[in-house]
Amino acid sequence: MTDTDVFRALADPTRRAVLERLMAAEMNVSELTANFAVSQPAISQHLAVLRQAGLVTERREGRRAFYRADTAGLQPLVDWVDRYRRFWPDRIDRLKTLLKEMDQ
Amino acid sequence: MSEDVIVDCDLAEPPEKVWRALTVPDLLAAWLMPNDFEPKVGHDFTFRPERGPDIACEVLDIEEGSLIRYSWREGDDDRIDSVVTVSLTPLQGGGTHLRLVHTGFPLRASRATLALMRAGRSLVTSMAMNGGLRWAA
Repeated sequence: MTDTDVFRALADPTRRAVLERLMAAEMNVSELTANFAVSQPAISQHLAVLRQAGLVTERREGRRAFYRADTAGLQPLVDWVDRYRRFWPDRIDRLKTLLKEMDQ
Repeated sequence: MSEDVIVDCDLAEPPEKVWRALTVPDLLAAWLMPNDFEPKVGHDFTFRPERGPDIACEVLDIEEGSLIRYSWREGDDDRIDSVVTVSLTPLQGGGTHLRLVHTGFPLRASRATLALMRAGRSLVTSMAMNGGLRWAA
């Protein structure tokens, strides 16, 4: 699992919607599919990508599988935003220094 | 509420001078990163940081002397585009108010939700409090 996997997983609007559903409640594939206008295999594919990215976990009960969001997986996203929260004020400080040094 | 990064500051220099620092490649490089920027809408350019992957950009909007907006895509093509907007407003006395907004992050959770996440608490709990995550369209 890499940060890129998380960003790639979230690039797709259906996957974001699936994740959001799974934040609200644990569901199996057929319950999830009932919420979307796409096929069950397509939902399974999205779940595989979300699991690969560490955003969704699977719990098996006999032959049945249940899915829920693992929000700790969103940490790379939080880190990314935080990085730019530090980056831009630092660069604006450099801009201020540059402006003092520039000719009119 | 989205997770935009916003920086506001007042500068002593006039907007024309600040504009040059935003749009002349050598000056832009001095405070941001080496680049092949051109002030033309639709121009594709690249910021090349000392470390880390290049940042691929496209000029989306220019209002001469007051606003510049470009897309900002870090790393490979699978990452989500974000958008940087810098706007300049003249201040009384000859200075400039600069506002930089970096927006379009994939996560549109409310600040309260993210604050809870940072504190290590479950998002599921905060979902109930905030009425859900809001994703970018």
